[in-house]
Amino acid sequence: MSRRLSLSLPTKLDQLERIYEAVDELGESEEWPPGMVYQVKLVLEELGVNIVTHGHAGDPDHEFEIVLDSDADALTIELRDEGRPFNPLTDSPEPDIDSGLDDRPVGGLGIYLVRTMMDELSYRREDNHNILTIVKRKENG
Amino acid sequence: MEISVDRANEVLIAKVEGRIDGANAREFEDALNGAIGEDDSKVLLDFSTLSYISSAGLRVILLIARLLQKRNAAFALCSLSDPIREVFEISGFDKIISIHDSQAEAVDKIGS
Repeated sequence: MSRRLSLSLPTKLDQLERIYEAVDELGESEEWPPGMVYQVKLVLEELGVNIVTHGHAGDPDHEFEIVLDSDADALTIELRDEGRPFNPLTDSPEPDIDSGLDDRPVGGLGIYLVRTMMDELSYRREDNHNILTIVKRKENG
Repeated sequence: MEISVDRANEVLIAKVEGRIDGANAREFEDALNGAIGEDDSKVLLDFSTLSYISSAGLRVILLIARLLQKRNAAFALCSLSDPIREVFEISGFDKIISIHDSQAEAVDKIGS
């Protein structure tokens, strides 16, 4: 059981549908455990929206790439974009998840969800591209 | 994403169907603000037919919860699927928003 799927997408929010469809299809054919399809969609949406709205500040005339590599043990995701440098491991503050309703900052949760749901994240900046590699092991659901 | 509205025991029940993501969160916010009347003092979001929510949707939930708290209105969620509940738990939203297993339980808790 192993399959690779690549997507090259314009930096527009209306492309999310294509990501969801690709994840549905890959998750089904690779028999991912329950819950993993949702988590992978969420991770790609959070990071994709980030690339579109922050990395490229809404400029729709760029492209970013997603490569999904699913095998018997794990899914490896590579995201590659040419937006402004952004390392989700260091450039995103820890969100406040404990304070009361009034004091909760609005937003900042997306990257936190990504870091919590996935097993490994590594970032590098190469040839003016952000390259983020993510591993999700199947055993962790 | 679609919202259908119902009222039971003075509770406004907004049932959300489909997906709330970065592309339609603004639309969700507008629809919810439109559905909640100024006189509504008890609001329940029924997520039994919601298939997906991400941080963009959480942001809207937080804003609505805050708005209703300012008006001293009750606010609750019900019928979250397991992956959606996980998103709320990781974000710590389960500590600031009341979440119920079923619509009946929620209406019983916050209704008159």
